[in-house]
Amino acid sequence: MQIQLEFPAALATVLGMRGLLIDGGGTLRETFRRIADEYPKLGLHLFDESGGLREHVLCFWNGTNTRWLPSLDVAMTEGDELVIMQAASGG
Amino acid sequence: MSVTALIGTIKGSWLLRADDARQVWRLEGPAFKGWKVTAATREEDGSYLLATASDVYGPALQRTRDFKEFEQLESSPAWPEESGRKLKQIWRLRAHGGSIFAGVDEAGLFRSADGGATWESICGLNEHETREAWQPGFGGLCLHEILVDPTNQDRMWIGISAVGVFRTDDGGVTWNSKNDGVPVILEDQDHQGIGYCVHGLVQDPDDPNKIYRQDHVGMFVTDDGGDSWVRQEDGLPSTFGFPIVMDPHTRHLFCLPLESDEFRIPVDGRFDIYRSTDAARTWAPSSTGLPRSDTYAGVLRQAMAVDGCNPCGIYVGTTAGTIYVSNDVGESWATIPCHLPRILCVEALMED
Repeated sequence: MQIQLEFPAALATVLGMRGLLIDGGGTLRETFRRIADEYPKLGLHLFDESGGLREHVLCFWNGTNTRWLPSLDVAMTEGDELVIMQAASGG
Repeated sequence: MSVTALIGTIKGSWLLRADDARQVWRLEGPAFKGWKVTAATREEDGSYLLATASDVYGPALQRTRDFKEFEQLESSPAWPEESGRKLKQIWRLRAHGGSIFAGVDEAGLFRSADGGATWESICGLNEHETREAWQPGFGGLCLHEILVDPTNQDRMWIGISAVGVFRTDDGGVTWNSKNDGVPVILEDQDHQGIGYCVHGLVQDPDDPNKIYRQDHVGMFVTDDGGDSWVRQEDGLPSTFGFPIVMDPHTRHLFCLPLESDEFRIPVDGRFDIYRSTDAARTWAPSSTGLPRSDTYAGVLRQAMAVDGCNPCGIYVGTTAGTIYVSNDVGESWATIPCHLPRILCVEALMED
């Protein structure tokens, strides 16, 4: 099973692309861990010392902010989409 | 040998390339568009290591041989989760003795012995008995200076803003505060030897015990490796400032006095680089070609650099994104025609 991971232009130079197809088996929590393990250069920018998303990094799972989920222990399904965004407030 | 100055800004880095006479300059860039470029060093194998950072995406290390292709390292200094600390920025990189040292915010020193593949926290410093009382300065709780003794690999100095200078004589196992003679700015009730605000350090290349210190509260010199410091600021219009650099050939020193810690702008709007030709005993403006009025941008602690040429070149980047260069030990200055973002660091890199 594969899911689509997209990330913003500021991170495009890290892997030389704006998106990835990743193995999405298991839960969202496991998917986050898999991203960090398999793509450590990208993981460095998405996750902090706690293993969670950095304070100003947002991740949308099929359009839902993952911070609004009661838990990251939700099952991923074929075709799911994760979109990374930068939390921006004001100008 | 040619000179390239790396200009690290809050929104990317640029290269300032010189002709052999260092009279014609060409600006190239940006690289790392949108990212802070906070530090750089030349590694012992001739490659270069750069530190990048983002308020959103954190810090990282980048390696390059030619400044055209960059490779992000998979690893970076990191605090363990249980420490509760966050690694916000790499402030200083130094390659020495087969190791790479990184000074970071939140304050700490890390070492890699395998080219940056893994990083070791220098616990003797990072878990120092005074650690609980370290307080951040205006620029954060940052370890921004790393000096090494070229004659004794076990001996190093580091500087942390609002904490002070520490020295190790045993390869980083133990560290002792080295601030006697410098007024404390933030006294702690329980711990001695901290609360000193070092802004910049530079070491005499022939005498590792002779170190010059631009501190929050003045200009100081030690002749005994930091065991004692004395003021030497005759001629300076203000004793507050950030960077201090030294021409490795003449030993001339350069600094930029700023008006008080409250205002932090050039005194009376005059962008005067001050030079000392007598080991900091006296200072005088060395400013031919620099703005004489209406200039209120400062220079951050890592944004003044010297090259290894003789006569020495000096490179200064301001918080307004202006670059000034001298190719004659500060006798005269030229302005590079550009307006970059706020300049965080300048490194003069000599290329074969």
